[in-house]
Amino acid sequence: MSVTDLTRLAIKYCEKMGVDEAEAFAQSQRIIEVVLERAEIQSERVKTQRGIGIRIIKDKKLGFAYASTFSNATIEEACRNAKSLSNVSVPNPDWVSLPTPAKLPKPPSGIYDEETASMGGDEVLNLAVRAYDEAKGYDKRVDIDDGKFSLISTDVAISNSHGVEAEENNTLLEGFLICMAKEHGEALSMAFEYDVTRSLRDFSPERIGRIAAEKALSSLKPKAVESFVGKVILDSDPASTILILPIISSVNADNVQRGRSLWAGKLREEVASQKLTVTDDGLFPKGIGSSSFDFEGVPCQKTPVMMRGKLKSLLHNTFTANKEGKKSTGNAYRDGYNMLPSISVSNLIVEAGEKKLEEMISDVDKGIIVRRFSGNVRPESGEFSGIAKQANYIEKGEVKYSLKETMISGNAFQAIKNIIEIGSETRPTFLRAYIPPIMIDKINIISK
Amino acid sequence: MVIDLLKERLKKSRGYSELRYHKRNTFTVSVKDGKIDVLNSGIVEGACARALIEGSWGFSSTTVLERDKIDGILNDAASLAEASKPKKKRAVKLASAKPYVDKYETPMKIDPRKSGKEELVRLVIDIDKDVRGFSKNIASDTVTFNIVDDELAFLSSEGAEILQRIVRCYGNVMVIAREKGNIASAYESIGEESGLEVLKKTPLGDIGKNAAERASKLVSAKVAPGGLYHVILENRIVGLLAHEAIGHCAEADLVYSGSFLSDKIGKEVASEEVTLVDDGRFPGGFGTMKYDDEGVPTQRTVIIDKGICRSFMHSRETAQHFGVSPTGNARAWNFEYDPIIRMRNTFIEASDYSLEELAEDIKEGFFLKGGLSGQADFNGEFMFGTQEAVKIENGEFTESLRGVTISGNAFEVLKNVDAIGEDFAMRTGMCGKEQVNFAGIGGPHLITKVLMGGMK
Repeated sequence: MSVTDLTRLAIKYCEKMGVDEAEAFAQSQRIIEVVLERAEIQSERVKTQRGIGIRIIKDKKLGFAYASTFSNATIEEACRNAKSLSNVSVPNPDWVSLPTPAKLPKPPSGIYDEETASMGGDEVLNLAVRAYDEAKGYDKRVDIDDGKFSLISTDVAISNSHGVEAEENNTLLEGFLICMAKEHGEALSMAFEYDVTRSLRDFSPERIGRIAAEKALSSLKPKAVESFVGKVILDSDPASTILILPIISSVNADNVQRGRSLWAGKLREEVASQKLTVTDDGLFPKGIGSSSFDFEGVPCQKTPVMMRGKLKSLLHNTFTANKEGKKSTGNAYRDGYNMLPSISVSNLIVEAGEKKLEEMISDVDKGIIVRRFSGNVRPESGEFSGIAKQANYIEKGEVKYSLKETMISGNAFQAIKNIIEIGSETRPTFLRAYIPPIMIDKINIISK
Repeated sequence: MVIDLLKERLKKSRGYSELRYHKRNTFTVSVKDGKIDVLNSGIVEGACARALIEGSWGFSSTTVLERDKIDGILNDAASLAEASKPKKKRAVKLASAKPYVDKYETPMKIDPRKSGKEELVRLVIDIDKDVRGFSKNIASDTVTFNIVDDELAFLSSEGAEILQRIVRCYGNVMVIAREKGNIASAYESIGEESGLEVLKKTPLGDIGKNAAERASKLVSAKVAPGGLYHVILENRIVGLLAHEAIGHCAEADLVYSGSFLSDKIGKEVASEEVTLVDDGRFPGGFGTMKYDDEGVPTQRTVIIDKGICRSFMHSRETAQHFGVSPTGNARAWNFEYDPIIRMRNTFIEASDYSLEELAEDIKEGFFLKGGLSGQADFNGEFMFGTQEAVKIENGEFTESLRGVTISGNAFEVLKNVDAIGEDFAMRTGMCGKEQVNFAGIGGPHLITKVLMGGMK
C-alpha cells in the first residue's frame, strides 16, 4: 500500500464516523545513522520510521491522534481516538476550514535523488570514515570527539476530506563532526562543523573533516580580551541562531495574531537595516526545506518576508490565513506525524552581499568573529546572551588570538538595525535558513 | 504476547543479543489564549535488537512486531556488527551484570489509564483563564499538560527479562507580557515520574501564576548587566549547574574522550560544601527507573563527595573499560536508539542555610531565578539561561531585572560555592545528547560566582 492509500483510508474511516472535516498526514522514512563517539564508530542504525496523524474537526472542535503502525486496525483506532478526543474538546470560534484543493506546483528540482535514496549502511558509514580520516590526517593535534552522519529518505502524503491529496519523496543527507585540538596532552578547544544536502553528489565529508580540524586548531591558545562594546562578525550558524530565530518567530502569523510578536501591526514598516532582504522560498531548488506542498497540502510558494529592511509579509498556515481572510503562504509545518501543524519557514533565504568573509574581516578595526554560539535567544523579545565559541579577536583587519571565556549579548531586533555588512557566502543552517556571515555593531563583548 | 514472541526469537540469535520492546502511550492537551491548540493522543510501538559480535555492536529496529521482522532485526543487528567490525579499532567488552528477571511499575495513586481525560482538559482550560487574568499586560499564554506512559521490556541472551512501566506526568506554562512596545516571556514547569497525583502535589495553576507574575513584572524591566558576579542560584536552577557543569563531564563516554574530569578521581574538584549525586531511583524523579536499558539496576551514584570526585556514570561497556561496576546509566529515548550513557536525576545535596542567610554575605550580586536551556563542553565550560536576576545590595533583594545566560568553568564555579541552602527542589529536564531523554535536575539555593552575559 502506498502512503496515499493509507491517508485515503483514514479519511474514509473518519467520514464514516460523521465528522465535519478530517485530515490524514502519513510519513514513511528510511533512516540510516552512523554515530561516532569517543573517536570511534560507535553505532550504526537502520530504522524504518512510519506513522500517521489524524486531525478531525467536529462542531469546530479539534481532535488529533496518531499511530506508528500502518495496519487497517491501528489506523481505524487512531481515527476513533481523534474523534473521542474531539468529544472532550471545546469549540474554537476562530475555526473556518481545512484547506481546499489547489493546483500544486511541480516538485522543486533536486529534492529527491535516486542514488542517495538507495544508499546502504556501508555507504553512510563510508561518509563518516572519510570525514574522520580527513580530520585526523589534517594535524596530529586534532582528535575527534563525536559526530553523526545520517541519510533520511522520506515519503510523505496528505489527504483531507475536501479532496486535498498530495504525495512526495525527498532525500536528505546530514553530517557533523565535533573535533578537538589537544596540545601538551590537554584538550583545550572544541569545534563543530556540518553539512546538509539533498544528494550525495553535493555532500563533501572531506570538507566537514577539514574545516572541523581547522576550526579546532584556530581555537588553540585562547586569551581573554577586555570587555567592550563593538563589532561582531557572526558566521552563518550563529547568525542564524541569534538574528534569524527572532525574525522567524516575529513573522509567524500565529505569534502576530496573539500579540507575541513585536512586529504586530508593522507590515510595510522599516524594522531592519536596508541591507537585509529575506525571502521564504518553498520551491528553492535543492532546498533542504523545499516541497511542492506544505504539511497541510497547500501549495508552497516564494514569499518576500523583508525587502531592504521593510517588513513585507507574514508567514501563514491555513488557520491563521482564514482568521484574516487571507490565503495561506504554504508555511504549515510539523515536526513529525505525531504533531499538529504549526507555522514555520520552508527555506528562509537571506540575500547575500558582496564581500567574502576575509574582506569583511579586513574591514574591522576592533571586533570579534564568532563561529559557534552556546547560549540562549529569547525569540519574542530578541534578547540574546551566551558564550562566543570558536571565536577570535580581530584587530586592524586581522584575525588575532582565539578568545577565552568570552560572552556576547544584545538584542536581535536592535542588532538587525545595526547590520554593517552581509557576506557573500551563503550556507544552509539547521533552522532551514540559508544565511551568509553577518557583521553587526554595538554588541556587548563580556569577559571576566 | 509480544514478549513471548521476542523471547522465542531471541533464542536463535548470534553473539550477545538484546531485544527491547517499547510501547509509548502519550496524551497532550495544550491551551493557547483560551483555545485548545493541541489535543492529542497516540501510540508509538516497536522493538529493537542490539548485537555484540567479536567486540563490535550492531543495532536495528522495527515497528512491525511480527515473527519475520523480529528475526530480521536480530539478523540485521548481527550483520551490521560483523560488517562494521573491520572499521572499528576498539573491541567492546561488557562488564558482567546479573541477568535480572523482574517487574517494575511507577508507584501511582491515580493511574492516568483509569481516569478520563475530560477533567484534565477542563483543568488546563481553567488555568489558562487564570493566567491571562493575572494582569492587563499579559498578551498571550500557553498551558500544556502531558502524560507519557511507557511500557518497556528488556530481554537478553544472558537471560535477563525485565518488564517496566514508567509513567511521567508533566506540564508547563509559557506567558508573554506586552507593554509599551516591550515584550517579555516567562516559563515554568512541573512534573514527576508518577500518576496524576502530581497535579495535587505541585499544582499546575501555581506555576502558571508564577510565570504570569514574572512576565508581567519583567516586561518593564531592564536586562541585567554583564560581568563576573557573586550570585545565588535559585534551587530550581541549581540542577542545571549540576547537570551542565559537572554531570556531562562525568559521563564515562565523555570522560574517555578526555573531559576535564578524566584524571580527577580522588581529587578535589569542588568546594567541600558540594556533594553531587546522580540517582536513578530518586522518588518521583523525572529520570527515575528501576533498571536502565541494558538491564542494569539503577542506583544512587555519588559523583562528588564533599568536594572530592568519586565516581563516573557508566554503561556496561565503559564500566569494563574503567574496571568498575556499571552504574545503570545506559538509557535510550525509545526503541529506535541504542542506549548511551545518560544522567538520571542529578542534584547537589542540601545544607542548612536559609535564603536570607545566603544573601547576607553578598554586597553586590544577583539572585538568579528561572532556568532556560544549557550546554556544556567537555573542557568544563558550561552555560545556561536564567529568566530573572534580582539585584542583591548589601544582603537585601532589591530590583528585578531580566535574566541573562550565565557561564563559567565548572571547576572554578564549584570551587566558589561558599554556602549551600536548605530548600531542596527537584524538577524536570529534557536533555539532548544525540538523542533526547527525560532527566531530573535538582538542588538547594547556593552561592557562587559566574560570568553574566548581560548588557552595558
